[in-house]
Amino acid sequence: MIVDSASAFDVRTYLRQEMMPHFLCPGCGHGIALRALLWAVYELGLDKDKLAVVSGIGCAGRLSAYIDANTFHVTHGRPLAYATGLALARPDLHVVVITGDGDCLAIGGNHLIHACRRNLKLTCLMLNNEVYGMTGGQVSPTTSETRLTTTTPLGNSEPNFDACTLAAAAGASFVGREVTHHVPKLKQLIRAGLEHPGFAFIEVLSDCTEIFGRKNELGSSAEMVLRQKSELRPSAYRDTVDSPFRSSDLPTGILTKTERPEYGAAYRTAAAAQRARLAASTDQNKGRT
Amino acid sequence: MRGSRLEIRIGGTGGQGLILCAKMLADALCATGKRVAQSQTYEPTSRGGFCNSDLVVSDDEVDFPLATALDCLVLLDRLAVKPSWPLLKPGALVIADTRLCPELPEGELRVHPLPLSRTAIELGSERVANMVALGALAALAAVCTRDAIERAVRAETPKAFSS
Amino acid sequence: MNVGQPASAPKLPWRLISGNHACALGAVAAGCRFFAGYPITPSSEIAERLSRLLPLVDGVFVQMEDEIASIAAVIGASMGGVKALTATSGPGFSLKQENIGYAAGAEIPCVIVNVMRGGPSTGMPTRPAQGEIMQSRWGSHGDYPIIVLAPASVREIHDENMRAFDLAEPLRTPVVILYDQDIAQRTETVELGDANGVARAQRKWASGPPAAYQPYATGEDGIPAMSRPGAGYRVHTTGLNHAENGFPTQSPQAVERNLGRLLTKFERHRDLIDSWQTLGCDDAEVLIVAIGISARAALRALEICRARSLRAGLFRPITLWPFPENALREAASQANAVLVPEMNAGQLSLEVGRILGGKRVEAIHRFNGEPITPAEIAQRVETLAREMNQ
Repeated sequence: MIVDSASAFDVRTYLRQEMMPHFLCPGCGHGIALRALLWAVYELGLDKDKLAVVSGIGCAGRLSAYIDANTFHVTHGRPLAYATGLALARPDLHVVVITGDGDCLAIGGNHLIHACRRNLKLTCLMLNNEVYGMTGGQVSPTTSETRLTTTTPLGNSEPNFDACTLAAAAGASFVGREVTHHVPKLKQLIRAGLEHPGFAFIEVLSDCTEIFGRKNELGSSAEMVLRQKSELRPSAYRDTVDSPFRSSDLPTGILTKTERPEYGAAYRTAAAAQRARLAASTDQNKGRT
Repeated sequence: MRGSRLEIRIGGTGGQGLILCAKMLADALCATGKRVAQSQTYEPTSRGGFCNSDLVVSDDEVDFPLATALDCLVLLDRLAVKPSWPLLKPGALVIADTRLCPELPEGELRVHPLPLSRTAIELGSERVANMVALGALAALAAVCTRDAIERAVRAETPKAFSS
Repeated sequence: MNVGQPASAPKLPWRLISGNHACALGAVAAGCRFFAGYPITPSSEIAERLSRLLPLVDGVFVQMEDEIASIAAVIGASMGGVKALTATSGPGFSLKQENIGYAAGAEIPCVIVNVMRGGPSTGMPTRPAQGEIMQSRWGSHGDYPIIVLAPASVREIHDENMRAFDLAEPLRTPVVILYDQDIAQRTETVELGDANGVARAQRKWASGPPAAYQPYATGEDGIPAMSRPGAGYRVHTTGLNHAENGFPTQSPQAVERNLGRLLTKFERHRDLIDSWQTLGCDDAEVLIVAIGISARAALRALEICRARSLRAGLFRPITLWPFPENALREAASQANAVLVPEMNAGQLSLEVGRILGGKRVEAIHRFNGEPITPAEIAQRVETLAREMNQ
């Protein structure tokens, strides 16, 4: 059930308004994803003081600066690794990672698959716009085949990643995908990810109108978003883990949700048990002497 | 002030328990108030091949912790002869296993060929050759008391064997 | 601070432990409660020890997927307010450099142990070398300050690791500890002081109303107060050049002001940072400058020289960077020549030559995995002394 709290939610109370106007291009889908995230945070009533947002490099990486929380803009590809340290050291914090397709799947690909495997409680929001926007429009691991970018002047001839399939195959206990066209559904998906007691990977299909769209003559932002929507189908139609590469009809919604021990809690439990064992054996020895 | 420096090498092949043997000696020396530096051979292959553990012993803090001139050398395999021989001091004590290291170069040395591994085999396992060597070294080099060595050996030995 | 003559032999009982073991014990004693690392020879024993020790003190050990993830997780933990350590060796140290620059620029305290390797590339993993003397100072891109400590014994690895945290935390900086395989994996008898109840230097935490808080504004000490997530400050941390408010800026004035402050922030704290040892420098004709296992060889060489009536002295930087320049100049004031034995093709000798411009500076360079021996150093001292007296 989609809770309609839209009228009560004021995004400005979660933004650093002194940072406005933001730097995103007109038509960019990242702002919609940011709004959906903050809406989910609002609905869950998360304490801003206990919210930590770690982001990498690229257009998506810049979003953390706009959020009124504990925000960390780190090195390219590494936000999941920084977030792993932060979340392990501070289990009282709610740690969210904002990353892009290049940041997460190319330079940070190793960290993604191991974060999926480890299952530490983190919410990873990967904003996929199929391109390296900030550096001027180079091909990324999610650029569709035949697309033109500044480094594929002949059209992209590499197959692209299906990030959700990859994350699920690597063991992520929560995987979901949504488009920016469906804002309430996107908010609902992020909310489910934030509530998930393990590693949650969420791919948001965003759009880069200004660079990618222009280069490939994809029309206005609205036209790009509508085209994305036409390529989607709800997850109920099909099992997601049947191909390592992106198919032309993408399932959306929650694609994977499994119960697995959360890494941080499992580690703390094992450590506490070890301390108890040692304390008991020390007491025993005391009894002897 | 640093004239007390004493250098001991246990040499052989990987897997003979040389480092454990040296550690027990080091512990014994340590317990009698000596300062010790012990090398830990750490090579990609830990079984077979030349292996050694060196002890540098001193009354004060050891300045240079590597062997430069050996006072004592225990040889449990012929592989250890070539790399160790140039380091021997004139008059140094050499204990060599008669079975595994039967031939030695000439030298102004106190050489004791001893049936270390054969004794171990007679005791039931060649694997305790390192302990036989430790006993021989303790007796011949007189670096510390028999009592201290025995305590160090007991401390490192699994309870099932140390009754 | 000149540590001068070594203290008299410690009292019994002492322990026989390796340098890497001592490193782990020092970290825990200093209050380190987070370690992230990746296996690499010859530093892996630090990780192995801490994987057992940290759970006992309610700390966290995690083996990450690679070297970069390890330093990133350490910085992340420190951003959360926890004292954090990683340990590596040459190739891993190369991989960590970008993020060490991040920690320096964003002023996140952390300690990085690097058991030095030779090179290039994989080099000789199980042999000693001193190949990262320059990399430890200049390894990340751009201009940044960093503290590097170079302990030369098992005992000193323990104590300098504690000092590393006592510098990293209050000065908000990464601190690198450099030592070599010969000390990392050799066991020595040590008496470790009881650190229980000894007050450790603390990070400077933000206080006062959040509305007035500027994350990179500083007072006279040049060190900004850090905010702990959850304490109500909700600030932004970035690797981009930033203004006092923590947000990225391209204002030349703001960058000049804030990066300028960062680059000089150690100057006011040199009394705390600098550490070195001098032996026999008062009347030394030939001054030996060395670190790590080469300094241990020099210690023995001093004995050999004395026996041959050669006047040799030793200057051993314990804080390697920032280099204790004034102390070196003073130690070298009487010397006619300086000898730098080092296990690389020429790194420390470059810095010594720069500081002592005009003085004769010679070096023994070794990059074949065999430590420089006391006899070699003594021989070179003798040759130098003879040449200078002609």
